[in-house]
Amino acid sequence: MLSKTKLLGLATFFITVRAIAGPADYMYLPVITKGEKEIDFKYGTSKNDEGVRKHVSKLGLGYAPTDYWFTEVYATRESEGGQGLTIAEWENKFQFTETGKYPFEIGMITEIEAPLQKNNPYEVKLGPLFQTDIDRIQLNANFLFERKFGSNPEHEKFITEFGYQFQTKYRYRKEFEFGVQGFGEVGEWNSWDNHKAQNHRWGPAVFGKINVGSAQKFKYNAAVLYGVSEAAPDHTYRMQLEYEF
Amino acid sequence: MKKSFIAASLLLSGLAFGGDQEVTLTIENHQMKPSTIEIPADKKIKLIMINKDNTPEEFESYDLAREKIIPANSSTDLYIGPLKPGRYEFHGELNPMTAKGEVIVK
Repeated sequence: MLSKTKLLGLATFFITVRAIAGPADYMYLPVITKGEKEIDFKYGTSKNDEGVRKHVSKLGLGYAPTDYWFTEVYATRESEGGQGLTIAEWENKFQFTETGKYPFEIGMITEIEAPLQKNNPYEVKLGPLFQTDIDRIQLNANFLFERKFGSNPEHEKFITEFGYQFQTKYRYRKEFEFGVQGFGEVGEWNSWDNHKAQNHRWGPAVFGKINVGSAQKFKYNAAVLYGVSEAAPDHTYRMQLEYEF
Repeated sequence: MKKSFIAASLLLSGLAFGGDQEVTLTIENHQMKPSTIEIPADKKIKLIMINKDNTPEEFESYDLAREKIIPANSSTDLYIGPLKPGRYEFHGELNPMTAKGEVIVK
């Protein structure tokens, strides 16, 4: 039986963490190809402990003007229990290493989310991205810091949260690769929640790339993520489809 | 003083020779030249790609896990390796029928 203090703590955690733990979360990859343009669709869904399902869809348009800078704008729609929210997002990704020159690729992600309905807070996300290859296995690890700011009608406690992403991918063949993805949030960056209140979602993933014409291709990845901590949804289904041209 | 100069010279020459091996790949008439590149195993290679055509090309290799766009009449560098012995295919995404080649690692 949880004490009132713990219940209050969990409730606070859910209020503050919901935005960061979106079911359509996706891996940020540090490698940038100059000149690449893409239309990008993402979708994810999960059900909370009360049985209320959340759906998140994102439609984005991205471009890499240089070898070290990729920028993308998104329109995001979130719906949960009959309520919806539309968000405009602007993502900027930077690659600090020249691809292949060092054992690791290092990059950074910055993202700002602006809700289009009034009385909702903005959010900023920032963090380093890492990637390396061992033979046909690609490994990624990202560390993310996120904070809300602005409008605060529910008098939430705005904190800087710490999260992570990881991915291992076996490059079996171009059209079909497989691996594992994991997403998680541990609470405030300098004062982590106890394990039960942390939100960890890990599971198998598939990836691939299909060429459809001269320098045009579809890239996909999808995962079934299992809640490996009490605060996480039991199952999260997520997918990403990119058209590169 | 003389000893210091000799030591510094040796150090600098060591750094110079310790650099990555360079290989030049030229794109001309939508073809990759040379179409076969031989490199040693377990070495990092700097591939200098020169596009002499009036159209861009995209170097792509799933085997090498690399893709890079080379604008028309320009050059760019790409690092590959260290690789195990074997054959690694590459091609030009915009002219895949003619712009193709392989890296042979020995």
